[in-house]
Amino acid sequence: MSAEVRDLRNAVIGVDTGGTFTDVTLLDLASGQVWNAKTPSTPDDPSRGFADGVAKVLEISGVPASAVARVLHGTTVATNLILENKGPKTGMLVTDGFKFVVEIGRQDVPRGENLHAWVKPRRPIRPQHIWQIRGRIDHKGRELHPLDEAAIRQAADAMVAAGIVAVSIVFLHSYASSVHERRAAEILREVAPEILVTLSSDVMPVFREYERSMTANLNAYVMAAVSTYVARLEDRVRDLGIRSPLMLMKSSGGVTSVRTVRQRPVETALSGPAAGGVGANFVGSSAGETNMIGIDIGGTSADISLIYNGELGLTDHGRIGDWPIGLPMVDIATIGAGGGSIARLSSSGILTVGPESAGAAPGPVCYGRGGIEPTVTDAHLVLGHLPPYLLGGSFRLDLEAATDAIRTRIAQPLGMSVERAAQGILRIADNSMVGALRIVSVERGFDPRDFALVPFGGAGPLHGGSLARAMGMRRILVPPAPGVLSALGLLASNLKAEFARTCVQRSDSPDLAILGEVFRNLESAAIKWLDDEQVPADARTLRRVASLRYQNQGFELSVTWQGDSVDAAAFAATIEDFHVTHERIYSFAQRDTIVEITTIRVDAVGTFPRPRLSELAPAGNIREAVTDTVSMVVDDARVEAPVYNRDLLGAGAEIAGPCLVVQLDSTVLLLPGQVGVVQRLGALLVTDTTV
Amino acid sequence: MNAPGADKTDTIREPGKRMLNTSADVGAGFAGTGCDPITLELIQGAMMAAVGEMEALIERTAMSPFIREKKDFHAGIYTGDGRLVATSALAGASGGLIEAVLDVFPRDTLREGDIYWYNDCYGSKGVVTHTPDQVFIIPVFSGAEIVAWVEGWAHFNDVGGMRPGSLSSDCTDIYQEGIIIPPVRLAREGVINDDLLRIFYRNSRFPEMIQGDVRALLAAVRLGQKRLKECAGRFRPEILTDAFNRLIDRTAGEARRRFGDVFQPGEYNAVEAVDSDGQGNGPFRLRYRLEVSPGRVLLDTSATDDQSPGPINFLMGPKVAAATLGDYLIAGDRRFMHNSGIADVVDETLLRPGSLLQPHFPAPLGYRGVTLMRHISACLGLVARATGGQSNASHSAYVIYYVRGKADDGSYFLMSDGVGVGYGARPYADGNDAIYLPANENYPCEFVEHVYPMRVLRYEINPDTGGAGRWRGGCGVIREIEVLAPEAMLSVRIDSIVTPPWGVNGGMAALPGGCVINPGMTNERVVPGISDGTMVYRGDIIRIMTGGGGGWGHPYDREAERVLEDVLGGFLTRPRAEADYGVVFTADGRSIDAAATAARRAVRPPTRLFHQGQYQDELE
Repeated sequence: MSAEVRDLRNAVIGVDTGGTFTDVTLLDLASGQVWNAKTPSTPDDPSRGFADGVAKVLEISGVPASAVARVLHGTTVATNLILENKGPKTGMLVTDGFKFVVEIGRQDVPRGENLHAWVKPRRPIRPQHIWQIRGRIDHKGRELHPLDEAAIRQAADAMVAAGIVAVSIVFLHSYASSVHERRAAEILREVAPEILVTLSSDVMPVFREYERSMTANLNAYVMAAVSTYVARLEDRVRDLGIRSPLMLMKSSGGVTSVRTVRQRPVETALSGPAAGGVGANFVGSSAGETNMIGIDIGGTSADISLIYNGELGLTDHGRIGDWPIGLPMVDIATIGAGGGSIARLSSSGILTVGPESAGAAPGPVCYGRGGIEPTVTDAHLVLGHLPPYLLGGSFRLDLEAATDAIRTRIAQPLGMSVERAAQGILRIADNSMVGALRIVSVERGFDPRDFALVPFGGAGPLHGGSLARAMGMRRILVPPAPGVLSALGLLASNLKAEFARTCVQRSDSPDLAILGEVFRNLESAAIKWLDDEQVPADARTLRRVASLRYQNQGFELSVTWQGDSVDAAAFAATIEDFHVTHERIYSFAQRDTIVEITTIRVDAVGTFPRPRLSELAPAGNIREAVTDTVSMVVDDARVEAPVYNRDLLGAGAEIAGPCLVVQLDSTVLLLPGQVGVVQRLGALLVTDTTV
Repeated sequence: MNAPGADKTDTIREPGKRMLNTSADVGAGFAGTGCDPITLELIQGAMMAAVGEMEALIERTAMSPFIREKKDFHAGIYTGDGRLVATSALAGASGGLIEAVLDVFPRDTLREGDIYWYNDCYGSKGVVTHTPDQVFIIPVFSGAEIVAWVEGWAHFNDVGGMRPGSLSSDCTDIYQEGIIIPPVRLAREGVINDDLLRIFYRNSRFPEMIQGDVRALLAAVRLGQKRLKECAGRFRPEILTDAFNRLIDRTAGEARRRFGDVFQPGEYNAVEAVDSDGQGNGPFRLRYRLEVSPGRVLLDTSATDDQSPGPINFLMGPKVAAATLGDYLIAGDRRFMHNSGIADVVDETLLRPGSLLQPHFPAPLGYRGVTLMRHISACLGLVARATGGQSNASHSAYVIYYVRGKADDGSYFLMSDGVGVGYGARPYADGNDAIYLPANENYPCEFVEHVYPMRVLRYEINPDTGGAGRWRGGCGVIREIEVLAPEAMLSVRIDSIVTPPWGVNGGMAALPGGCVINPGMTNERVVPGISDGTMVYRGDIIRIMTGGGGGWGHPYDREAERVLEDVLGGFLTRPRAEADYGVVFTADGRSIDAAATAARRAVRPPTRLFHQGQYQDELE
């Protein structure tokens, strides 16, 4: 590395904490050179694994800490706390008469669950920690009854006595006026300054009290842990000698400062998967793709996201575990199918694959660590989709044990050959993934054939070929380092924040003055945020978004506001865009029906300079990249297929399936009829000649 | 009924003589005539995905609040010969849905692109059980053959009839419950007959809403048709048909196996009561006798009371009872699809014409929901008898009330608000608090106040309604609404007030709900549980209280800490905790006096199998 680059603080570091490993990537912005490091995650205190990884990547790159311009991080701290129900004692202030809104929920047994057998999940906040406060605002924001301030003081004392760590304040219709919530927060901070406070009108000023309550409650629930965690991270970063800001990935696919995350930690609930989506978008757009479907296949699950016109798809109807979160987040379909998914045959002859996973321990049978039930990885090995070693030869796989497990547990009881049983396991796993791929594409009105598939995660490039073929997708783009794409996504991410508010307007009688005023208020909030994040003027983007529906419908679609001002023409153009979107997704539009705007949003983006990756040297003789052959099951027979070392494939190298491409963090499988060409920036573009 | 242990699913095991699959394509079929075990799983996944996709479309685009917020709809896929293969809902497995179309339109007259539609309860022999439910059906062709049928089903807000919402306890015949659509051909080869729809819309008080619903349902069934055609292409029609049969057999085999585990040969009885028909008659009793002998299972309901003048009659299809038992036994095990196989547990159900379960035309049916819920409870009672109490306890019927009137701006409104109840405790868990039905959601208060001239004052758990037990029954709900319109008419449907849901195996009965106007004020009025025509005026407060579910197991076996948690949380009051659970609190009521509790619990009140007012061995 040249000295002047280091002095220019031109290095950025991305740290993606996963369940098993922490992946760290360092990018030299000047040269485009990338270094990757992997360290074991440390779930008891993830900041330790974080620091180990950063230290390691600094060491192997030789980049001094003083050259680091920023550190970006994807975290699962909030996610795990919510999924494992391990938050601290959290309280809630609610409108009198509405103590049980979260307990009652939507009074439903979820669709597809059984009335007799389903057990209602325990809420993160217990009813005895919910205090009811008199005072009422109506749906237009008018005060009907004054706030009972004495009751808030009493509640604050009771919270302190009960050992409440954090509290959420959720009053009815606070999206229309937050006056009562703000006053209640003031009093709480005065009486019990040690308690962390979340206002529903800050986190999500959108109507429907259960969803708003749950979002605010989860924010309060993870606040203490996330605050402690980011404080530790800042210490760790400082201890390593790094003097630049730390930023965290949000569920919406942008990063934000530690300051924002402390206030709205629930926005990091999908931090990890969002980083993967951003990474897929970055690699794809670097190769000239604008429409992509990213699939991240790990040991236990697969996360699928869609990128259209260079933008990662978002949803306002996301969930974390059992709970709705009404904030914009990456529209991800997650299913319990991955490399460790266990194949099992029931006594009545039903073959299932997943959602149970052998995980990292004991792992697949072929890892030889005590796993006895066959997994997806074992099926790949039996079919020759994996060489009998991983991680550059340092880790041998036990083919015989994998074969035995599939033979005795699946093939013999079903009366079929081991190979057919292994193919069956993969087809069932692929079928689940195809279902999830369809959810984000076909069900959103997109034709997957117009998209390129970007498979990543340790197991993604093994399944990419068969999944793309099943979906009729002709192009597959395998990232340069598929196993650590999320960390690369962090490096490619921009600052981002969303500001939304419910403001109901009908297409036959819109009050454009009010609509304009609410947009202006949201924009002021967005600009203040950009100021606080010190985003230079030329790097700022604001975008208006509206959620619309036909009158009497219950589900909104978000479209971009059509125009620079809030006037009749822009309103009409936005309504027309809604008709078109409704028709694309649901197959029909209703231009004879009144349209309602329910919630409007302003998205603020602070754009960082786009990272430039270094180019590969041109390819030489590709025969020199063949390091081995495997016996692969292809078309009813076993064939000898070449194994390429990806590090030895230069730009322009062309390879044809059937073959394997091995690298440290992943293995790529090309099927017969698929041809791969190595791109200048390292991605492998596979074209399927049979589709 | 096969002898226990005769597991038909064995037939899906095949000799391993086929060739290795010659393609990596996920969807490729195998050579040969049958469907192999792998393809079977792929087709099951594809069917569940298609149902999910159709239902998502309905949920997101329909307009009736019944559909959009309360989610009263489902989609289904049927075999070419009309048996249910896949759905997400409780309904549909009872048979006859496709036959109702074929009875009018012979199979050889059907064409690709046709859409059929009905809501005719008597005409469909009880497939549809009240008129607001609309069924849209498309036959899916492969060549000249029908390989499958796709169905979309939803409860529309208002289809005409005596009162807004089409349902009223004042109805005395089915003509007062809205326009009846016999099975009709809504589309011929893809072309919709708009005249039929114009007649339908003209008969609704909220035509824009049901127009939106029709569009949503039609888009959904057409989507399902497209998916099924794709599947037929991907797997070949004969493979698809074979897979459908195997999926049904698989569910049937498992349901029969589980039935055999639960019901030893013998005779089992259960009795349930509906309080009233809303017209001063009642209670009405359902009397079930299940006769299990080797090779034959008979359910005799003929001792059930005569049909009611009011609309609580439940026109029950011949396989409904069997499907209810099968659904309970399969209990949502995802390996087994919810299909017509679940009804394979009973060989014959005797239904007496003229009884509450088989009323003569044109008896009104609108409020059959209360009787349906008692029917489900009767089936639980049979399981309890057969297992010595290893069943769920009983539940209240989900509650609905209507407020209809004219707002200050002159527009007519209809609020049909469903309110959750408590469900029965289980041998392994508490009953669920505040549940309506699977996939049926409440109206958020912030939605109600945006749309109706109503203000929600309270929405909370109704304490003490869950029956005491080792596992507590679920609690009902209190919902209090202030009327902001000049005047409106109130209709309520709250059952199980006279005869609350039973507890089992030592668990105690639930406490009931009720309805009061202006509670605690000088002008307080009690409204009968099932009633219509009650006038309310601006400023009146309507309090709806719903009942709970029964408890399971001896209340003294519930951990004192759980009892305390229930008291602190507001599910249980201290006096009931002390009386029913035998716990003793410290003076401040914030903790348990362990020694005093142990002393009190040393003397255990004796119990019997059921509790309904008192401990008893039989339901009466």
